[in-house]
Amino acid sequence: MTAVALDGIVLGLQFGLLGVGLTLVYGLGGVLNLAHGQLAVLGAIVAALRMDAGASAVVAVLTGLAAAGTAALLLDLTLLRPVYRRRGEARVLLGLLLMLGVAFVIDGVLVWRYPIEALSLRIGGDPVDVLGVGMRTGSLLASAIAVGTGVALVVFFRFTTLGKAVRSVIQDEEGAQLCGVSPATVRALVLPLSGVLAALVAVTRSMTSPVTVNAGIDLTTLALIVAVVGGLGSVSGAFLAGVLLGIVNTVSAHYIGSYVTTIVLLGAAAVTIVLRPSGLLGVGRE
Amino acid sequence: MTHPVATVGRAMTSAPRAYAPIVLVGVLAALLPLRYGDSRTMMGVIIGGVLFAAYVIGFNVIFGSTGQLFLCVGALAGLGGYASGILSDRHGLPMVLAIVLASLVAAVVGGLLSWIAVSRSLGVIFTGIVTLAFSLAFQNLLLGRRDLTGGETGLVVDAGSESLLGEQVAPYYAFLVLVVAYLVVHRALQRSRVGWAFRALRDDEVAAELTGIDVKRYRVLAGTLGSAMIGLAGALYAHSEGFVSPSTFAFGEVDVRVLVMLAFGGIGSLLGPVIGAAAFTALDEWLVSFNEYRLITYGAVILVVFLGFPRGVVLRSPGGWRRRRASPLRGAPPS
Repeated sequence: MTAVALDGIVLGLQFGLLGVGLTLVYGLGGVLNLAHGQLAVLGAIVAALRMDAGASAVVAVLTGLAAAGTAALLLDLTLLRPVYRRRGEARVLLGLLLMLGVAFVIDGVLVWRYPIEALSLRIGGDPVDVLGVGMRTGSLLASAIAVGTGVALVVFFRFTTLGKAVRSVIQDEEGAQLCGVSPATVRALVLPLSGVLAALVAVTRSMTSPVTVNAGIDLTTLALIVAVVGGLGSVSGAFLAGVLLGIVNTVSAHYIGSYVTTIVLLGAAAVTIVLRPSGLLGVGRE
Repeated sequence: MTHPVATVGRAMTSAPRAYAPIVLVGVLAALLPLRYGDSRTMMGVIIGGVLFAAYVIGFNVIFGSTGQLFLCVGALAGLGGYASGILSDRHGLPMVLAIVLASLVAAVVGGLLSWIAVSRSLGVIFTGIVTLAFSLAFQNLLLGRRDLTGGETGLVVDAGSESLLGEQVAPYYAFLVLVVAYLVVHRALQRSRVGWAFRALRDDEVAAELTGIDVKRYRVLAGTLGSAMIGLAGALYAHSEGFVSPSTFAFGEVDVRVLVMLAFGGIGSLLGPVIGAAAFTALDEWLVSFNEYRLITYGAVILVVFLGFPRGVVLRSPGGWRRRRASPLRGAPPS
C-alpha cells in the first residue's frame, strides 16, 4: 500500500509539472495549448539527437529545454498574435484550433524525420530506501526536480514583482494594462517558460521510461486533464490535481485494471468541469 | 458585425431555389459510379468520402448551427456502428431495426452531452474538453471490453453482407441517399422557425434569449439531431463494410478530418460539408503514397484556413444563393 501511494505521488508530481505549463498559458491569454505535449516531445527529441551526436547528458538536456522554449516563443510572436487581437469566445476557439494545427505539424514532422528516435536517460545508483520501500534513483531525481520547480514557481508568482505582474494579467488583462503591465511582454516571457516546463517533463519522464516520438498526444491529454481538474490558471492547483490524479491513477491501475484507469482519469476531468468549472483552486474566470 | 435583425429579417427564397443545389449535388454524385464503378478500390474511396460528408453534415448541424464544439464525432459514429453490429449479430435483431436503435442510442448520448453542456453553460472550451474526454473514454472502453467489442482486433459485422449493402456499387447509393436526405433536413431546418432560432442564438445569444427564444432547448435539439445523423451514418457503415475496429472511429481518424473538412467548406453553410468532404477525400487519395506528409498537410491546412479564412474557404462570399450569416469564429464584441 505504501509502495502504491509513493508511486502515485512520484507520478503525480510529474502530472503536476505537465499541467502547470498548460495552465499558465491558458490563464494568461485564453489559449488552450493543444501542442503542449508536442513541445515536450520536441525538446526530448532534440536532447536525444544531441546525445546521439556525442554530447553529454546535461548539455543535451539543456539544448532540448532551450529548443522547446524557443519554439514556444516563436509561436507566441507569430501564430498567436492574431489570436490575442480577439476577445472572449472567439479568441478561445481560434487559439484552440490553431494550436491543434501546430500539434499536427510538429507531430507530423517529428514522426516523419525521426520515426524511431526516443529519449531515455539512465540514472545509475542503487535503490534508495524511503519509508521501507526501495525507490529507484531515477524516480527520486525526477520527483526532486518536480518539487523544486513547483516551489520555485510558487515563490516566483508570490514574491517577485515580475511574478505578480504575470498574475495580474491572469486575473484581469485590461486592468493589468491600466496599471502599466504589458500583457504582450508577459506572454512573451511565459510562453517560453511553458515550453521549457513541457520539455522538462519529457526529461524527467525519460529517467524512468523512454519518451518516444509519438508520445505527444498522450502528454497533451494528460496535461489537459490535470490543468482542468486543478483549475485553469492556477499553479498550485495544477500540482494539487497532479498529485491527486497520480495517486488515483496508480491505485486504480493496481487494484482495478489498466483500461479502467484512463476512463477514471477522463471521468475525473469531466466531472470536475460539470460540478466545478473553475477547478479545485481555479481563479474563477468562467 | 452583422445585425441579428438584418440576418433574420431577410426575405425567404422560394422552395425550388432553396432545394435546387441539393438536387444538383445529388444528380452529379449519382453519376460517379459510371466512371469508377468497375474499380473496387475507387468505389471504396468514394464511399468513404460520402460517409464523411454525412458525418460533417451532422457535425455542422451541431457546431455550425449552434456553436457547440462536439469533439466526439468518431465516438458517436462508433456508438452507432458497434451498437448496430452487436444488436444484429449477437442479439439477432433485424438489420434495419438494429440500425434504428443504434442511431437512437447515439442521439440520446449526444443529446445528453449537449444537455449537460447547456445546463451548466460550459462555453465552447469546456464543451470541447468534456466531449473530448467522452471520445477518449469511449476508445478505451472499446479496447477494454474485449468480450463485447473484440478489442483491438475489431468486430466482424455479418448482418448486411447478404443484402444489397454487400455489393460494390449499391452501398454507395445507400450513402448518397442518406447524404441527400441529411441535406434536405438541414435545408428544411434552416427555412423553418428552428433555423431562425439557430441563427439568432448564434449571432447573439443574449439578444436571442431576450426575444423569447429558448436557447437551451434549441441547442439540445441540434445536439440530438446531429448526433442521430452521425450515429446512423456510422451504423450504416458498419453493415456495408462488414467490419469495425477502434481505429475506424478514432479521434485522429474521424474528428480531425471532420473539423478540417467543415472549416474548409464553410462552417454553417449547407453545401460546405459536401465540398469539404469531396476536396479532402481527393487530397487523401492523392497523398496516399506520401503517407508521412498527411499529418503535416492536415496541420498546415488547419492553420491556413483558420488564420486566413475564418469564415470558410470555399463558401465564404455572402450573397448569391447563400444567405449571409455569421460564423462562430467571427470576433465577438470586446467584453
